[in-house]
Amino acid sequence: MSTLDLTFQLNGQAVRLQLSPDTLLVDLLRDVLGLKGTKIGCREGECGACSVLLDGQPVNSCILPALKVQGRSVMTIEGLARPDGSLDPIQQCFIEAGAVQCGFCTPGMILNAKALLDGNPKPGEEEIRKALSGVLCRCTGYQKIIQAVQTAAGTRE
Amino acid sequence: MRNQNEGKKEDPVLTKERFDFQQLLQTPQVKLAVAGQSVPRTDALLKVSGKLLYGADYGQEGFLHGKILRSPYPHAWIRSIRTEKAKSLPGVAAVLTAKDVPGRNGFGAIIPDQPVICGDKVRFVGDAVALVAAETERIAHEALKLIEVEYESLPAVLDPREALREDAPKIHEKGNLLSYNKLRKGDLTTGWAEADVIIERTYQVPFLEHAYIEPDVTMAVPQADGTMLVEGPMQAPFTTRRNLAAVLGMPINRVRVRQVPMGGGFGGKEDSPIDIGCRAAVLARHTGRPVRLALEREEITIQTCKRHPMIMTIKVGARKDGTLTALAGTIYDEQGAYASLGPVIPPAGGSHIHSMIMMPGPYEIPHVSVDAYLCYTNHPYGGAMRGFGAPQVHIAHEQIMDELALELGMDPLDIRRKNAFKLGSATATGQILDQSVGLRETLEACAGEFDWERRSRKTGYIDPEKTKRRGVGVGMGWYRTSIGTAGDGCGANVYVHEDGSVLLFTGITEMGQGSYTVLPQICAEELGICLDQVRLVQPDTQMVPESGPTVGSRSTTLMGNAIIQAARQVKESVLEAASEMLLVPVGRLDAREGRIHDRENPERTLLFREAAARAMSRGKRLIGQGWWTPPPATLDPETGQGNPYFVYTYSTHMAEVVVDVETGEVEVTGYVAAFDVGKAINPQSVEGQIEGGVAMGLGYALMEEVVLKNGVPQNLSLQNYLIPTILDVPRIKSIILEMPNVYGPYGAKGIGEMPNIPATPAILNAIANACGGRVRSLPADPEKVFWAIREAGGPPR
Repeated sequence: MSTLDLTFQLNGQAVRLQLSPDTLLVDLLRDVLGLKGTKIGCREGECGACSVLLDGQPVNSCILPALKVQGRSVMTIEGLARPDGSLDPIQQCFIEAGAVQCGFCTPGMILNAKALLDGNPKPGEEEIRKALSGVLCRCTGYQKIIQAVQTAAGTRE
Repeated sequence: MRNQNEGKKEDPVLTKERFDFQQLLQTPQVKLAVAGQSVPRTDALLKVSGKLLYGADYGQEGFLHGKILRSPYPHAWIRSIRTEKAKSLPGVAAVLTAKDVPGRNGFGAIIPDQPVICGDKVRFVGDAVALVAAETERIAHEALKLIEVEYESLPAVLDPREALREDAPKIHEKGNLLSYNKLRKGDLTTGWAEADVIIERTYQVPFLEHAYIEPDVTMAVPQADGTMLVEGPMQAPFTTRRNLAAVLGMPINRVRVRQVPMGGGFGGKEDSPIDIGCRAAVLARHTGRPVRLALEREEITIQTCKRHPMIMTIKVGARKDGTLTALAGTIYDEQGAYASLGPVIPPAGGSHIHSMIMMPGPYEIPHVSVDAYLCYTNHPYGGAMRGFGAPQVHIAHEQIMDELALELGMDPLDIRRKNAFKLGSATATGQILDQSVGLRETLEACAGEFDWERRSRKTGYIDPEKTKRRGVGVGMGWYRTSIGTAGDGCGANVYVHEDGSVLLFTGITEMGQGSYTVLPQICAEELGICLDQVRLVQPDTQMVPESGPTVGSRSTTLMGNAIIQAARQVKESVLEAASEMLLVPVGRLDAREGRIHDRENPERTLLFREAAARAMSRGKRLIGQGWWTPPPATLDPETGQGNPYFVYTYSTHMAEVVVDVETGEVEVTGYVAAFDVGKAINPQSVEGQIEGGVAMGLGYALMEEVVLKNGVPQNLSLQNYLIPTILDVPRIKSIILEMPNVYGPYGAKGIGEMPNIPATPAILNAIANACGGRVRSLPADPEKVFWAIREAGGPPR
């Protein structure tokens, strides 16, 4: 299979490379670009562990052909920390709320939360639940994840 | 002359003598500095940054990729197998069959009855018939398709009761009954005679999948010196190593197993790493190259262990006032194709005997009889899944208690109040619960917070169209801390360095439950230093002492005690040095948060690290070693009488549900759960286990089931094996109570498994309360709830 050009913004940096058209975004990120923070749980777009932000919206990178991000902007968990290395408030709130157990769904959860708060800074609990419904967690029962997002939004009772 | 015994007190935590519980309550608790605090997880920073490397994140340069060819039949002879075409595909490094296994062609957590590669027959569709190693996963997949196998299909045994018939096809040489165990207490005839009401019910539960979000993966790396390294996410490094050694035909000391960060285990990663580890290692040995073997989601469902399905018949007798007089139970426990963690490890280890012991529930019953049959079938096999045989029987006894309450016209709480364990109660095995029994306290605390009195009176329709009905339900439970085997024990090493930093070596693994935080907390507390001075070394069988598996809710307690022992050894040296430096007797010194001071004169103080440096320069021992075993487990094999587990955690759960009586859909709208955990070493983490466990129990009640058709699993992926999403789990209020365990670190007992156990029956009881429909065969999905309502004569008016 011949290769095609791909140019896109990744965590604020321009990236340009060649790849075969059947390359999935998650494999591009993990195996070619060495960004292991995006996880693979099911390879069928069900668990959300592979969530990344595409132009600010969450997508399941395990079922997205990489060429679909042509000319667009992608953010992975590695791109969330601030330029000076300090954590995004959502990350800090996850730590403090006890919302991290095995951590495998954590990057996906955090990115979905970021997409929510960027668009809706003071969401209600139902809105938080709906926004995070695309990520499965087997460890936490979701309680402290919701509390972490509420704390980050300043809406925790 | 300094008194050698000054400062050394006989500590009841570390002795096995019976201890006066009342005396413990009167002893003022020392204020803890690190243990008992909700400190953030030590690995959370790496996890939220995406920097923590899990097994699949490790570099794959130079690795071959392993794949497994599995049987399409649940039961068949292998007549022939031809691998030439597969071997000649470019990029294929090896295609192995049974004859290529260098050592024992069998693995298993208890009995090694599962072939690494099947030679003569296959016993379930997950059985391995050949192994392939290739340069890429794609090539490995292609190679699998080129292997030609001729099978002669055999009649399959797909039901545990069928398995016990005289004429049933034999799955293993020795027959289909893997274990028969019985419990006999008192005299049933007397018990029935004393009863005013007797009811009997049968409950059935299916295969369940752990559905950890991180798929299984392993890496087998042959070392230059001929030893073998296997690494990956795993709960039982030592069990894995023992199997690897036998399969490779090597002594244990030439096999090294290293655990890497794990994305969830729940008992499944107790034996799936043995499976893929042995297979990867055989490929690695054969090719001389590192082999990475990863399971895709569908392969996990087909191949790895499940929660045991059961058919449970339970008959109870009670007096008019609700006092239980007798209980008889029969359990058909479906083991599936291989033994895994089902069979008995004397005296009370293995999931099957645990189910038998737990079947009567946390109630005082004078006459009890249980017959439990563990049966092979040509299905996926049962292993450990959070609760290890206890969840299933709780579904039986908690439901029948409610059904009995209904017969007697009693409130479900009152019938439990009549019979629930308290301090001094005798269990069905005749064990006297002489310490740390908070069951009743959890019931009252839960009822208070849930407002049971008020809510139980509000059962009924919540909409004018009369389509949705609300109801409440309770579930009580108990769960052991330990695994009930003769060999249960934990080792820990603590090394203190001259700058006050500490290395902690244990073989307990982190799967998200928080052991990598709690165990250092205990170490720091005991040494009197700050948490960040302790670094826990990831389990590597070459570096850490034998610790047993991370299962059975044993880790905090057994390993915590071993760590305390180890820490005290080292602390002796440090305090001796401090005593010399401060010119204060050892008995007057307190160590806390990195400083050591004279209790009587707190200004006389120095840093822990100063004393450590001095101790080292004086040649004092700064290596501490702990080994802790619980009070011995006992269980008579004929009567099931004895003390199988030395302490139990207790809990009560209450759920509110709304049932759509037209569609059968159930929504859980309220939830409270109270636990007696002895001592919460990290309360936030205890809550985390409670909330996650309840969610798992909710899944068991409402949606989870591995569907099998003619022995073939149908719902292989997360698309059709449904686990609770954030939309399914309500707010959960946790209540933590502490009835200290005299054999636990600072009084702690286990918590990992307890929360997912009473959740399922609490929800099932709430459904029955809401709509009158009782679902006795799980899951209570909309279709089953719909038919249960119809069976009960339609929705209540």
